Amino acid sequence: MPFFFTRIKYNSGNWDTDQRMPINLLNSLVEYTTIPVDEKEKVVELSSKEIFKSPFCYISGHKLVEFSSAERQNFKTYVENGGFVFADDCNHDIDGLFAKSFEAEMAKTFGENALQKIPNTHPIYSSFFEFEDGPPATSFELNGWGDDLIHDYLKAIVINGRIGVLYSNKDYGCEWDYDFRNKRFLKVDNTKFGVNIVVYALTH
Amino acid sequence: MAILTKEQAKQIIDKVLSYAKADETEVSIFGGRTGNIRYARNSVSTSGETNEIGLNVTSVFGKKSGSSSINELDDESLQKAVARAEEIAQLAPENPEYMPMLGPQEYLESKTFVSATDQIDPEQRAQIAADSIGPSSEANLTAAGYLEDFSGFVAQGNSKGLFGYNKRTSVDFSITVRTADGTGSGYAIRDYNDINLLNSKDVTNIAMQKAQASQNAQAIEPGKYTVILEPTAAGNLMGLLTGSLDARGADEGRSFLSKKGGGTRLGEKLFDERVNIYSDPLNPQIPASPWDNEGFPQKPMTWVENGVVKNMFYSRYWAEKQGVQPTGRPSGMIIAGGDQSIADMVKSTERGILVTRFWYIRAVDPQTLLYTGLTRDGTFYIENGQIKFPVKNFRFNESPIIMLNNIEALGQQQRVGGDLIPAMKIRDFTFTSLSDAV
Repeated sequence: MPFFFTRIKYNSGNWDTDQRMPINLLNSLVEYTTIPVDEKEKVVELSSKEIFKSPFCYISGHKLVEFSSAERQNFKTYVENGGFVFADDCNHDIDGLFAKSFEAEMAKTFGENALQKIPNTHPIYSSFFEFEDGPPATSFELNGWGDDLIHDYLKAIVINGRIGVLYSNKDYGCEWDYDFRNKRFLKVDNTKFGVNIVVYALTH
Repeated sequence: MAILTKEQAKQIIDKVLSYAKADETEVSIFGGRTGNIRYARNSVSTSGETNEIGLNVTSVFGKKSGSSSINELDDESLQKAVARAEEIAQLAPENPEYMPMLGPQEYLESKTFVSATDQIDPEQRAQIAADSIGPSSEANLTAAGYLEDFSGFVAQGNSKGLFGYNKRTSVDFSITVRTADGTGSGYAIRDYNDINLLNSKDVTNIAMQKAQASQNAQAIEPGKYTVILEPTAAGNLMGLLTGSLDARGADEGRSFLSKKGGGTRLGEKLFDERVNIYSDPLNPQIPASPWDNEGFPQKPMTWVENGVVKNMFYSRYWAEKQGVQPTGRPSGMIIAGGDQSIADMVKSTERGILVTRFWYIRAVDPQTLLYTGLTRDGTFYIENGQIKFPVKNFRFNESPIIMLNNIEALGQQQRVGGDLIPAMKIRDFTFTSLSDAV
């Protein structure tokens, strides 16, 4: 079965962000890897059982994240059973509403200290391309709004030695939210780290 | 008597050439009247007029060349200028890229001269300023503007028999209007050959409206937005693209037209199909000099057709080296537009930003034409087809190549700095941070 990109739809806040990002990332998988892909993004309600069919899920937003009990249960079960969620903060701000409420939600779901910084030597930085300095910076945090800091780490919830939830305040979603055909004009394709995330999710 | 006639200019050039002993000699005479009026805080601060005439001689021995300039045209001065150019040429190192001078050329007749502009007098300039200051001051706004008009000629000839003569006029007018509290700012700029096309009252009105409407701007989050670029803003960025169509830069790997590993992207479709870029020295809105700085004749040329790069500029040296025909470097670019007005574009925009102009633009990466700079003098938020409120200025990081792949609509054209540029509606334009500047 080809790889497909699943976006998690949740009831609180806004889930419908970065609309061109999935197709751009899928294009990168086609360009660099031999992973067969389904080019259509799937949107799955977190409260439905559909989520359990996805090898890889994406969740993002600017606003409040507060799962209903059904959503929380599905999220927890999915991750604990070996699923992979890439959570990306669209506010690119560790003090923003998404960051605070998502982190609180993770604490509630997986325990107070479940979400931890991962070292910049983590295998996710070398699962396909090499990122010696950890997560690549985005143009938004370099001189953007945010908190004017470069977030030089990502966080994760690790379950049985593998990442179940990868969490970023770097706003990769926005960084990669452009028509994939424009990639040919970039000096360095900034979606390469997205390839690493997917390859890691599929091989761990 | 700053404008010499073609015959007078030819006579002087022939005289200079008769004094020359070098292998090749080139002479150019230029002159004209430049007038200006400048105002700030609603009152005129400077105004003036200069008349000048000058002559350049370039002498060449083998591949060594030297130049001298002079602004006296009596026989003794001309002889002195020639002798000095020849002396310098003898001392100069050889230029390995020297190209022998061109012989006689046929130049098109371009209507770059308008007598109404030639006849501008101080009173007319004062009136133009008054038409701009008056309405601003009545509306309790502060205007700062600058008008510069030019009427003059250039004639060029050489010992190989080349001769060209062109008279031209130009008017440049720019106006910035601020609100009394300093939080609102508006700007408009126009350039023409014909002074009759300039209505400083109308241009000022645009700046006044922008100033009033941009008071108390709100901050919104930077990110990728759909933008509507007025022709001035679009021109600020498009000039960077059209200036980079140089073949040598592409061949040497320095440009966006360079291919990885060598070669160029000539013939490739690099832009949206609606992108057509051409030049025509005879275009009535932007008439341009019929020859370039090498004396090479300018003809209508297509640079980009339906998104495909059709031609690059070739200097004579580079063309010979590459075994192709030289093109010369055009002095006015035309980017084809559409018939949408800016109001139409706003109406069709669900969420976006209207940009009056960019400034302080600096290169980030010449190979991808990535530039950074700021918005200024009227930046507005659009929602559901309406301008909602003024927003604080943004810094952008964007490439005109990417912009021309993200076209939503092209609007009516306007002359901007000697080019013809349409208004543009562009999706995913990258604003990376805010600026507190007004």
